[in-house]
Amino acid sequence: MSSHAATATIDHHHDPTTATGIPNKKLLMWAFLASDCMFFGTLISTHLIYRLHPPAGGLDPKVIFSPELTSFSTFILLMSSLMMALAVTAIQKGNVKSCRWSLLTTIFFGLIFLGCQVYEFNHFVHEKHMTISNSLLGTTFYTLTGTHGCHVAIGVLWLTLMYVRSFKPAAGSTQRTWFSHQLLHAVALLGGLLLVLKVTLGLVHALQIEPAFGAALGHFLKAEFLALAGVLVALGACVWFSRPRGPVDFNVTHAIDVESMGLYWHFVDIVWIVIFTVVYLLEYL
Amino acid sequence: MSAPSSSAVSAAGHDTHGHDESKFQIYVQIAMLLAVITGVEIVTVYLPFAKALLVTVLVVLSTVKFMFVIFYFMHLRWDKPFCTILFFIGLVLAGGTMWALLSLFGAEASLPLPT
Amino acid sequence: MDASAKTAYLTKEELAPAKPKLLSHPSAKTGLMGWLTTVDHKKIGFLYGFFALIFFLVGGFEALLIRTQLMVPNNDVLTAQQYNTLFTMHGTTMIFLAVMPLSSAFFNFIMPLQIGARDVAFPRLNAFSLWTFVAGAIILNIGWFLPTATHGAPDGGWFGYAPLTSKQFIPKHSIDYWVMGIQLLGVASIAASLNFIVTIINLRAPGMTMMRLPVFVWMTLITSFLIILSFPAITIALVELMMDRNFQTSFFEVSGGGMPILWQHLFWVFGHPEVYILILPAMGIISEILPTFARKPLFGYPIVVFSGACIGFLGFAVWSHHMFTTGLGTVATAAFSLATMAIAVPTGVKIFNWIGTLWGGHIVMRTPMLFALGFVWMFMMGGMSGIMHAAAPADSQQQDSYFVIAHFHYVLIGGSIFALLAGLHYWFPLMFGRKVSEFWGKLSFWVIFVGFNVTFFPMHFLGLNGMPRRTFTYDPNLGWNTANFIATMGSYVLGVGMFIYFAVLTYTFFKGERVKKDYWDGRTLEWSIDNPPPEYNFRVIPTVHARDGWWYEKHHRAEIEKEKSAHAQAEEEHGGIHMPFGSIWPFVTSVGLLVGAVGITYFDSDWSPGIHAKLGVSLVGGGIMFIGIYFWSLEGNEGYHLHLDQDGRPIADEPHAKH
Repeated sequence: MSSHAATATIDHHHDPTTATGIPNKKLLMWAFLASDCMFFGTLISTHLIYRLHPPAGGLDPKVIFSPELTSFSTFILLMSSLMMALAVTAIQKGNVKSCRWSLLTTIFFGLIFLGCQVYEFNHFVHEKHMTISNSLLGTTFYTLTGTHGCHVAIGVLWLTLMYVRSFKPAAGSTQRTWFSHQLLHAVALLGGLLLVLKVTLGLVHALQIEPAFGAALGHFLKAEFLALAGVLVALGACVWFSRPRGPVDFNVTHAIDVESMGLYWHFVDIVWIVIFTVVYLLEYL
Repeated sequence: MSAPSSSAVSAAGHDTHGHDESKFQIYVQIAMLLAVITGVEIVTVYLPFAKALLVTVLVVLSTVKFMFVIFYFMHLRWDKPFCTILFFIGLVLAGGTMWALLSLFGAEASLPLPT
Repeated sequence: MDASAKTAYLTKEELAPAKPKLLSHPSAKTGLMGWLTTVDHKKIGFLYGFFALIFFLVGGFEALLIRTQLMVPNNDVLTAQQYNTLFTMHGTTMIFLAVMPLSSAFFNFIMPLQIGARDVAFPRLNAFSLWTFVAGAIILNIGWFLPTATHGAPDGGWFGYAPLTSKQFIPKHSIDYWVMGIQLLGVASIAASLNFIVTIINLRAPGMTMMRLPVFVWMTLITSFLIILSFPAITIALVELMMDRNFQTSFFEVSGGGMPILWQHLFWVFGHPEVYILILPAMGIISEILPTFARKPLFGYPIVVFSGACIGFLGFAVWSHHMFTTGLGTVATAAFSLATMAIAVPTGVKIFNWIGTLWGGHIVMRTPMLFALGFVWMFMMGGMSGIMHAAAPADSQQQDSYFVIAHFHYVLIGGSIFALLAGLHYWFPLMFGRKVSEFWGKLSFWVIFVGFNVTFFPMHFLGLNGMPRRTFTYDPNLGWNTANFIATMGSYVLGVGMFIYFAVLTYTFFKGERVKKDYWDGRTLEWSIDNPPPEYNFRVIPTVHARDGWWYEKHHRAEIEKEKSAHAQAEEEHGGIHMPFGSIWPFVTSVGLLVGAVGITYFDSDWSPGIHAKLGVSLVGGGIMFIGIYFWSLEGNEGYHLHLDQDGRPIADEPHAKH
């Protein structure tokens, strides 16, 4: 990268090479993450401050939390980070196809994490009777993990749009409908993902209320029939939109975009590493 | 496309190429390591040792995970040091503020009055 | 395929596929669409300044009402409720809608010119920051125009201490406007600061090393860091307050086990760095003006820079000195007392550096210089009373008294405002190519200076005599009558001074005498360009050879000429000057944020029947915001090229979309 300093005088190829050699987007992302450290730092502090002197007669987190589920979602988030890192490596080598698959897997893992969180919240509210307003633990816990969940959701949204973006036709294409295709593709993928989430939670719910597997399946099919059909339609649309149609405008030059997105995603992961330890594990000591 | 930039490109390309061979392996190994550490953390919680020791162990293990993710997955290790500095400004200030807040609220003067 | 050739700009000469009409780039440079779609840092800076000055006048008017109410004991110009609203809005307006955006106006307009850049790193993000700031300002002030019984403007004090802000004590929506307004202003400030950080780090002209940056740029950088690291704390605090008010959580609700003191901590974790966010840009401006008018370089440049950074860093470690009387415990009190006293050291160092700059200089007494000298003196006096607060025992006497009011008005008016007014005069010839009349400028300075001191100096005595802040009236036999009357008279003089200042500025904007470039014989790069600056800023990106880059250029003309013509030719061979396209999407995104935030302010905790409409408004806002961001990313950061003739006028724009 030292050659950049030498060419910094004048912009070659509309690449106003930066004074430090660090791409602008990367620098922006790191500065934002520094800011986000403070954001989550304050939020985690709030939770911990209220855990320092728990009110007498308050809820006991040991009774409420389920370490198995949380460990599972932690593992899932770590794996999604791995896939994200692989996606960045793939696009840096210009391997669009491999990048797409890694992005899809990352989205999938992110979605499982979100599903676990929805399930967890639902479980805590209905089974353990901890709501956001009935206890201090609920107040801080739901706000903290909910804010983290929102970050994951934004990450999933970003990943989805980046995945769809990778189908934008390259310069010289005669395809005039690419723009509407992009929009429809994004809608189909997002809609499909949300429906998958709903269906999966429906399946879990059915398995919980019906002891027998067959009955549960029947119950599930009846309850989620429309959603299942929707999933099929949406996934079919996604496959159709992603059929190969000539060269795309997505290559090594876009590595920086994927990389910035990756930085965000990994950051959400490290925040969870901290939350997992200080919010969940420390309670068991 | 003019000569200076294409040489810059090939230089940059060459630069990253050296890592590419091993990066996949490194990433997978680190992911496995992170999973193992997470497992160790979960087990640690149930061990019958002094609380202070366990807290220390947990904090150290989480820090190790944290550092692996930022230095490898977020490739601070291969980036210009300024990225690391930038992020650590935020991290250190956030950490310091958390520490100060927790000390303030943990101090005797902040104990809730007996009711 | 050329791999890493592209980073910031992707100018596709061969641009296909066909662009849908929705994504076509707006080309208007004038008129309403020109302003709404602009990504030019100078226009954005101008708009920041425009809005900030309007709110500065609004905030000033509020202050005059407050002083009128306090002129005589048992006055009844205002009711207690109106008084609450006015002091809350005066503080909030002056801090968030006047001083910060006015500093931001200078960051936008001057900073890229000083580092030799053609724009900020992310021009569209810059436009987004501007419009989000406007959205926040609208929400903060919307309550003035709604029924007072259920809405009203914010009335919980500028630091909105819990539990006063809870639904129980202020059930109406005024606090919700305050919460969402500041939330949006935070988004705007953080986005702008991230942009400035990247710009300063990455877009410096060749040769502009960090230790050659003008001090104003350094202070911009440090302020930006303070903003991105302190605003998240208030964001979280406001989220928690919003959750308390709208979703019945109990972060600050004692009945649910919450601790109101936590709000104070979180607020001041943000609030104290905020104080430096207000003063550091001012210090930067002063460090530019003093050397120019003392005709010698800044004394001890590295020390000024490092003491600025030191102030910024220490600023995060002193927040609890706002809370000495809450009972922090002896260790914490001592620690925060010590850290607060320590912060006086770098500040004092700066004062000595400014005096050192003046020492032995050929001082030219022009209007900006008068304001700058006024700054040094008045800011020092504010610092003197500030250091008294650092001692916890003394502070427990001064807490919440008029002594504190006197202190922070000395550092905020005598400090920030004086410096910003100096900066307006200093850079006016550059921004608009016209100069302000010296007579009227100096007259406005003296009236403001006298009015300011007559208003705020007596407040020291009022405070020491026990007058508490935020009382809407007082009894005649407390011994506060004379000082209050003098202060009010002073405030009227100050108001007249401000009127003269802005009337002269407005007149000059339209009718002032035109001046040539480099009117003050400056030292830094912004003076090397014509005024008003052309949209491309620099004909040729300058190469910096010394700390005072333009001064060096003026004394090495032959060498610089040769260098410039070589660079100009090279750039022309590479396609000419690259300019970013305008975009409407940042504006759309901000509109979405505004609509969504208005929806959130109307939530009620009791899920009343209208909840669907309220939820709907929020969702519609979110949808608009999403569309804005999505199209923003889809339209891409393309640009066009400018080719200049001998006089620096664009020959012809070269649009790229050839369809």
